[in-house]
Amino acid sequence: MPEMGVFLLATQAMAAPGELLNLALNAGAIAPEGAVLVAMLATLLVDLAGEQAAARWVPPICYAGLGTALVLLAQQWNAPLEPSFLGAFLADNLAIAFRAVVALSTLLSLLISWRYAEQSGAPIGEYAAILLAATLGAMLLCGSTDLVSVFVSLETLSVASYLLAGYMKRDARSSEAALKYLLVGSAAAAVFLYGASLLYGLSGTTSLQAIGIALLTSPTPLAALSLVFVLATVAFKIAAVPFHQWTPDVYEGSPTPVVAFLSVGSKAAGFALALRLLVGCFGAFDTQWKLLFTVLAVLSMTLGNVVALAQTSMKRMLAYSSIGQAGFVMIGLVCGTEDGFAAMVLYMAAYLFMNLGAFACIILFSIRTGSDRISDYAGLYQKDPLITLGLSLCLLSLGGIPPMLGFFGKIYLFFAGWADHQYLLVVVGLVTSVVSIYYYISVIKMMVVKEPKEASDVVKSYPSIQWSTIGMPPLRIALVGCVVVTAVGGILSNPLFQWANSAVAGTPLLQEAIALGSQRSIG
Amino acid sequence: MLESSSGLVPLQAYLLLAAMLFCIGVWGLINSRNAVRVLMSIELMLNAVNINLMAFSSYIDGDLIRGQVFAVFVITVAAAEAAVGLAILLSLYRNRVTVDMERFNLLRW
Repeated sequence: MPEMGVFLLATQAMAAPGELLNLALNAGAIAPEGAVLVAMLATLLVDLAGEQAAARWVPPICYAGLGTALVLLAQQWNAPLEPSFLGAFLADNLAIAFRAVVALSTLLSLLISWRYAEQSGAPIGEYAAILLAATLGAMLLCGSTDLVSVFVSLETLSVASYLLAGYMKRDARSSEAALKYLLVGSAAAAVFLYGASLLYGLSGTTSLQAIGIALLTSPTPLAALSLVFVLATVAFKIAAVPFHQWTPDVYEGSPTPVVAFLSVGSKAAGFALALRLLVGCFGAFDTQWKLLFTVLAVLSMTLGNVVALAQTSMKRMLAYSSIGQAGFVMIGLVCGTEDGFAAMVLYMAAYLFMNLGAFACIILFSIRTGSDRISDYAGLYQKDPLITLGLSLCLLSLGGIPPMLGFFGKIYLFFAGWADHQYLLVVVGLVTSVVSIYYYISVIKMMVVKEPKEASDVVKSYPSIQWSTIGMPPLRIALVGCVVVTAVGGILSNPLFQWANSAVAGTPLLQEAIALGSQRSIG
Repeated sequence: MLESSSGLVPLQAYLLLAAMLFCIGVWGLINSRNAVRVLMSIELMLNAVNINLMAFSSYIDGDLIRGQVFAVFVITVAAAEAAVGLAILLSLYRNRVTVDMERFNLLRW
């Protein structure tokens, strides 16, 4: 459907039909999405052949599709920029970086989901196909530069996410999470559309760049209203307080591998959308949206980290912690400097590994014990050193303890914020980081410090560790991979810094915003 | 075609209608206890957007009609969303035997 969308756009964007034939659509830019799409269709076809064939062939097809997508993305890096589909899609370095984060998060989520799906008896063919559809939407969203393509890819991501959240059909909690997600998500989409229709009316075009220029020449109160509408949707997608109410419910009710994808892939796409819309389109309302986002960031960091203290469910705690983490990333967005944007990209990449590592440990624990209460982790180090070590490292990294990857990501964000005189944000960020370290460490303390006789009943009856059952080897690969990157990535973070910086340097949209910002500060 | 219609009904009338429809949708979204009614309210909001898009398309963008194309996409996606919404509601109804929003309280914030 997205392909058809851009094609229609292409046909109607041309005044003279004859010119269309001369114009290349530059469809190569969405080749990575093509690979994901082919994998999705192949998964659906294999799924028709029956459950056994699906169990055997679906995982390799998914790995091949996502691997190809990642390779194709690497080839697009720093390639000469040409708008595809007559301005509906742009594969700049920013889009490539965020699409890589999305594709990698799907790959890791799939690796940790086979065993979980096997154990819960859910058909894996459909599950993989819907997850790939969500990935497709998220990846297209990262590079969309037109209101229509933004809307269609946003909805592809959202509708697939609703289905994933309700995937455990017989579990009333999963269905309830899906319904709540769907109602809030559709309402947010409708609000976004209302804002988009106003923007179209104000500028007479749907291209984000053209709208940005039109708003610069004549900023009106109505444009400010549409900014509020559009911003509400962006805030919903990245789960910023006060648009976060769906997050804890959906995270608690949904299948855990789905939560892993939603907390990283969907959020990365949301931040890419925020950059495209706010930096690319609302340059005229720079002061206003930065003020609004400062408020959102302060609220998210405070509420997310404080409420996480009181949680007893691991999934719910990570849900609130992810709200707090989104608040940290917003510091980079508010800065609007070269360092700020680069820190955002870097932190998203770091967050991918540490959060998915933590989720891999939680899934492994719940596969073995069927529980995700924090108190059930007591004394775990005696029975399962791997989970204890992996979860400890990932949580320390999320809290920002050196020398983990998360520490360098966070210090870069705070440094960028301080350099741009965002003192309030940085101070709130530092204080709430301390709060977050408290609840992360209390989980670690629970696992490590407890005496064997204080261990929870769940841990006392811990099953013997087996890695040979179906779906366990991929889970182990994902777990070990994420934990190693989290632990070692901090020390070897130089290539990541360079990568994040060149992502910003290779994006004309961000460069213009940076130049504009520095002009203002001089003037 | 456009000139004749614009003489009769001003653009503001369409926008006002759309704004009212959108507000009714929001009101229904907040106040309905029946989940099916909530879904219907969301459809109202989306249709308000469609009226906006069509009106802008014929008054501002007469040559390229981007708004009309946008509206077609909105209608298509709204259909997909409604189908998924009803499917999820059906599976929830099978589990809980109710569509009352107040009773969906297994997950609390």
